Amino acid sequence: MNGLLALVLTAALAAPGAAEPGWAKLPGNPAFRSVLAYEDTRDGVRVRPFELMRTPVSNGDFLAFVKAHPQWQRGRVAAVFAESRYLQHWAGALDPGAASAQQPVVQVSWFAAQAYCEAQGARLPSWIEWEYAAAADETREDARQDPAWRERILRWYANPSSRPLADVGSQPADVHGIHDLHGLIWEWVDDAGSLLMSADNRDQGGADKLQFCGAGALSAADRENYAVLMRTAMLSALQAQDVTANLGFRCARDLAGATP
Amino acid sequence: MRSIRALTISAALAAAGLAGVATAADGATKTGPKAAETVHAVLTSPPQVPPPTGRNKPAKVVVELEVIEKELPIAEGSTYTFWTFGGTVPGSFIRVRQGDTVEFHLNNHPTSKMPHNIDLHGVTGPGGGAASSFTAPGHSSQFTFKALNHGLYVYHCATAPVGMHVANGMYGLILVEPPEGLPPVDREYYVMQGDFYTVGKFREKGLQAFDMQKAIDENPTYVLFNGSETALTGDRALTGKVGERVRLYVGNGGPNLVSSFHVIGEIFDKVWYEGGTHFQENVQTTLVPAGGAMIAEFKLDVPGSYVLVDHSIFRAFNKGALGVLKVDGPPNLAIYSGKEVDSVYLGDKAETLVAVDTAAKSAAAGTLSQDEQIAAGKALYAGTCSVCHQDSGAGLPGVFPPLAKSDFLAKQKSEDLIRIVLRGLTGPVEVNGQRYDSVMPPMSQLTDDEIANILTFVRNNWGNQGERVRKDEVKAVRAATPHAEGAAH
Amino acid sequence: MTFFRNTLSALLGGLLLATAAAAGGLPGDSVYQLTAGFTDQDGHDFHLADRVGKPQVVSLFYTSCRYVCPLIIDSAKAVERSLEPAQRDRVAFLIVSMDPARDDPAALRGIVDKRSLDTRRWTLARTDKAAVRQLAALLDVRYRELADGEFNHTSALVLLDAQGRRLARTERLGGAADAEFVDAVKAALNAAGD
Repeated sequence: MNGLLALVLTAALAAPGAAEPGWAKLPGNPAFRSVLAYEDTRDGVRVRPFELMRTPVSNGDFLAFVKAHPQWQRGRVAAVFAESRYLQHWAGALDPGAASAQQPVVQVSWFAAQAYCEAQGARLPSWIEWEYAAAADETREDARQDPAWRERILRWYANPSSRPLADVGSQPADVHGIHDLHGLIWEWVDDAGSLLMSADNRDQGGADKLQFCGAGALSAADRENYAVLMRTAMLSALQAQDVTANLGFRCARDLAGATP
Repeated sequence: MRSIRALTISAALAAAGLAGVATAADGATKTGPKAAETVHAVLTSPPQVPPPTGRNKPAKVVVELEVIEKELPIAEGSTYTFWTFGGTVPGSFIRVRQGDTVEFHLNNHPTSKMPHNIDLHGVTGPGGGAASSFTAPGHSSQFTFKALNHGLYVYHCATAPVGMHVANGMYGLILVEPPEGLPPVDREYYVMQGDFYTVGKFREKGLQAFDMQKAIDENPTYVLFNGSETALTGDRALTGKVGERVRLYVGNGGPNLVSSFHVIGEIFDKVWYEGGTHFQENVQTTLVPAGGAMIAEFKLDVPGSYVLVDHSIFRAFNKGALGVLKVDGPPNLAIYSGKEVDSVYLGDKAETLVAVDTAAKSAAAGTLSQDEQIAAGKALYAGTCSVCHQDSGAGLPGVFPPLAKSDFLAKQKSEDLIRIVLRGLTGPVEVNGQRYDSVMPPMSQLTDDEIANILTFVRNNWGNQGERVRKDEVKAVRAATPHAEGAAH
Repeated sequence: MTFFRNTLSALLGGLLLATAAAAGGLPGDSVYQLTAGFTDQDGHDFHLADRVGKPQVVSLFYTSCRYVCPLIIDSAKAVERSLEPAQRDRVAFLIVSMDPARDDPAALRGIVDKRSLDTRRWTLARTDKAAVRQLAALLDVRYRELADGEFNHTSALVLLDAQGRRLARTERLGGAADAEFVDAVKAALNAAGD
């Protein structure tokens, strides 16, 4: 607990812009084009500069968190915040067992992910922040039009989930110095509950007006970008207490000194 | 979203001990019409089909279908991560009766990476159930529908991106029987075509990844029946016996290609085209649209291997759209006798056919010797008789009686033997102590010369001893014999 | 200094949330496990756990919403009307704003007055942005703020039992009250009252 607090405080006290090993600074984009087409985002969405963890949160990281915050331990967490399979792959409440310290933590609920980030003085990234960051490859900030970029993402879907997850950071870093945005796990985002995706994804814009008050469900702006669409389908299928074997998270935070 | 919510609510209700309070979000699916009987649907993996429902009134049918993502062989030495309904491609076969109220449970296995749902083309309602069955990994969805229309229907996953879910094998068939059921047949099989898109080439070894661009271009690496190049070949071939009626339930999952479904060497007696109410008769090849199905029925007349193909034929021989239906039983040479044609057609028999020619000339000149007859008979036997009785004259134990050292043969007079060749022989005979009960078709297409020569050969070979048979004897017996059609050429 | 204060408050918030999860006495599946602070139309602060004891009909809305949100209140009122007078006193209605930036207590009070809501039973409330996300997640209401300040959102009335556990929900808005939802409310009152 002390160590954790110290770490957080150190982070908080660090001068703006000072590089911290676990975090990457992203410049943002005044008009980022999301794969999701909302009627108010046709001209792009502003993504402010922010910081993102270079790797997803690992079992080791999460173990330190639940040691410091017992109410988030398996068996103690309120059912309303995490379903029964929460951290089920660990051997015990404080024992990851076969789950190695360097593998990404999975089987965590949105509430738990949020609490973890809050404990780091951070937050979950928004969908748009995540999507913006994940548009990069090793050399470009936006590689999404490159079929090779897509193919690489889609290849992940071909890996059966019975195979053990790789350690965090084992894939090459992208141009921002961030690892594993694709090819390892799904990641929670802060506004996962805003993905008003119709349950029948073929309804493109024909959503029930009453259910979706006014503007309707989102639809895919870039239908060829199946790779990213899969993430939104996944996140929109989940409730905030749900966990899955391939779903983890990383945290984001506003640039030090920036007004939120 | 809605279905998951319903699940959560029912969980909450159970916890609160108020399970009797109906709260499902989707008003239309809460309570189906009351049915007298509740049954659990029998689901089968391809190529098997569940037994007929056998019910004369509607019931409430509970269907439990599990979605599981798993690595399965796509070809010899190649695997692919299929997304499946029930662990197989195509998914489990579902069989209900018209009027049934179907309570459908879609369970997405906890190891799944993806959310999935199901659109059943047999469902009347928004999205065919898709809107009520969107299911995250480790969750279950439930919805209820009434099977209003009978027919054979495709079901498939409709989660974004739909094409990819379908291309990964997420489809299957649901049969809604008409109230009176379907006429009984001896065998029913479940075959479904699909096209697959891999980054690696056809038959490249190892785990193959999905290739989105090939899918968009509609340029499949594989076109397969039942999800694998070897799903219906070798030990896994469909089987049948001569005399049986077979019904195939054939679907096409796509995602892209339309199938020109054909069984090489069979004519479908009936095809319920598009899986609908009406049938067409005497069909060679029938179209199965992507997202569509058909039912074909035919009788097995002739033993052998029948090859199921998409008759867009490069798909069959270069992309894997091949299956085999292996039919056992006695041959019916009256309908089909392939090898006869071969022996006449092949040039390598020229030498022996010389003997036939020589015998014919000698016979015309009145100088025909027994040796010439035996030589000609040997060549003719090889072309006509050896299909069943074998080159060695040993026949096939229990199926085709032997001619070699045959006690049956020794007892027959020449005219009896001639009659057997001209009229065929049906029913039980005992040869060398073994009973045979099969059919020899009439061979009246042979000329008098040919029959005389064959019989002379048979009587003087393999340890048999007997008189030569003369053309005149054949002619006399033929004249006294009612006309019988010869074996087909 | 702004930055420092923000960081500290974030830290405190984290500790708060942490403590919140351990809220004693409540069932683990109670929505009232959420311990964020709320403020009602009269400026009174409260916590969800303060509402233990009565079944509640809960929903999210925002005051500047012109189309669906009035229907949410209509629907909740229709539920209220379909109860016997004696039953009405034993149920509470809690409508929380998803627009904390604009919906201060005065804005909420305006709606109470305009819609003649009886504050013995009705509470309109606001909380901070993060708590709205959490409450929405607990109620499975999905919403998204648009660039122009409007919201896209799903609409539902959610019935909580006296301990804050979810019992039922309806998405049927406008027109007569959803009969099954009303039945669920009555059943909850019977369970809580006897």
